[in-house]
Amino acid sequence: MRRVAITGMGAINALGHDAAATWSAMREGRPAIGPIANIPTDLLLIKVAAEIRDYDPLRHFDSKRLILLDRVSQLALIAAREAIAQSGLEFRASGFGERTACIIGSGIGGENSHNELSSRFYGDRNPRVHPLAIVRVMANAPACHVGMEFGLTGPSFAVVSACSSANHAMGQAFEMVRSGKVDFAVTGGSEACITVPTIKAWEAMRVTADDTCRPFCKQRRGMVLGEGAGIFVLEDYEHARRRGATILAEFAGTGMSADAGDIVLPSETGAARALAAALADAHMAPDEVDYVNAHGTGTPANDPTESKAIRRVFRAHADNLAVSSTKSMHGHALGAAGAIELIAAIGALRDGVVPPTANFIDPDPECDLDYVPNTAREMPVRGVLSNSFAFGGLNAVVALRHA
Amino acid sequence: MSSVQETVFGIIAKEAGIDIGKITLDSTLKELEIQSLDAVQIIFEIEDHFKITLPDRDPNFDTESVKGLVEAVEKLVAEKQAAAPSTPT
Repeated sequence: MRRVAITGMGAINALGHDAAATWSAMREGRPAIGPIANIPTDLLLIKVAAEIRDYDPLRHFDSKRLILLDRVSQLALIAAREAIAQSGLEFRASGFGERTACIIGSGIGGENSHNELSSRFYGDRNPRVHPLAIVRVMANAPACHVGMEFGLTGPSFAVVSACSSANHAMGQAFEMVRSGKVDFAVTGGSEACITVPTIKAWEAMRVTADDTCRPFCKQRRGMVLGEGAGIFVLEDYEHARRRGATILAEFAGTGMSADAGDIVLPSETGAARALAAALADAHMAPDEVDYVNAHGTGTPANDPTESKAIRRVFRAHADNLAVSSTKSMHGHALGAAGAIELIAAIGALRDGVVPPTANFIDPDPECDLDYVPNTAREMPVRGVLSNSFAFGGLNAVVALRHA
Repeated sequence: MSSVQETVFGIIAKEAGIDIGKITLDSTLKELEIQSLDAVQIIFEIEDHFKITLPDRDPNFDTESVKGLVEAVEKLVAEKQAAAPSTPT
């Protein structure tokens, strides 16, 4: 089986409109959680989120094309453009398109479009639905549009598993490149679902914080919603090396498991199995991992459970690990989370800097690992695990190795 | 030019992104190079504007030519006004 290289990365989220700005903000420990500005807040109890600021779609797409694109597809395209440009690959011109998978995760797809059509239908009582509603709402739209723009004609689809969608999508793409089913993949996740009813639905679960996101610390009050996209180019490692591509990191392996337990509460053993499986798949010993980018949502349930799972798998080495949650800065981007967090994993490997868990006040005795509070840490990073533990107990861990 | 015709021409021009001067009653949607997805949006905008429903597959309505479309809209608008003459549109 082949090794797999990451040769391009792109992102757009609350921290910035590209991967460089995103990583820069992560390194500096600069949270982008703030008062909600993109939607009306008069009905909301939770008035904070990690929204993308200063985003003008017309700077990226002409008005005619925009009619086809829900926000979730727009974000995926912007990130894909950046990643593919960085890779230096020209899929159409080279004929590589049919050897390329396009697998993009999203938790809920075109939620803004869905919200608009419902509002018109029930609110305005206008029975006429826009003819493009279906193709805007469908969760595979980001994968379609990225494939269409770049001529990607290999296996293409969306992956859905709530907060683990991106890690699962990238995992699928990785398997296809590793096995030789394809030679390249464009993969990641995209989510844009900050609408009034969506926030109300999250409020109703009583898992969202009203101040900010403080993973692992005593004063944490829950998660904060984010939005954005992260897209990566995966490539056969040898092919990348031969053509002199810049290899950002090696995509070394994945571990996937299901809790088969509760529809919301995470399981320590389920998470531990995914962590252990990732290490085994990547042929990584626990002590070859220096950094874990945690799922770290800042909820009462996740943080201690995840900490215990990490301890269970890493044993003595757990005390040598740097563990941080960048959700403290970019919020919880749901189906895009794993992809935005991979930017942190790659940055840590390349720069030898572990981004911090921001907004950290006092330690919680239930969470007893080193969470790199508030300030980034310079340290050599050889291996990284990036965790996603979704509602319904769907766990996906990605393992990266230094290029 | 009737106002219905003017409005229909305007909607076609806007949705298809073409110069309104190019549209004549004798044009067909094919000649104007209007894609099927654009045609569907044109129908939607017309229906939404006039608050009418253009029939899907009625052979008596020709929605392939601009003339047919304008006539269909004029007919449905007239029917609507006849049904409820005191209702403001």
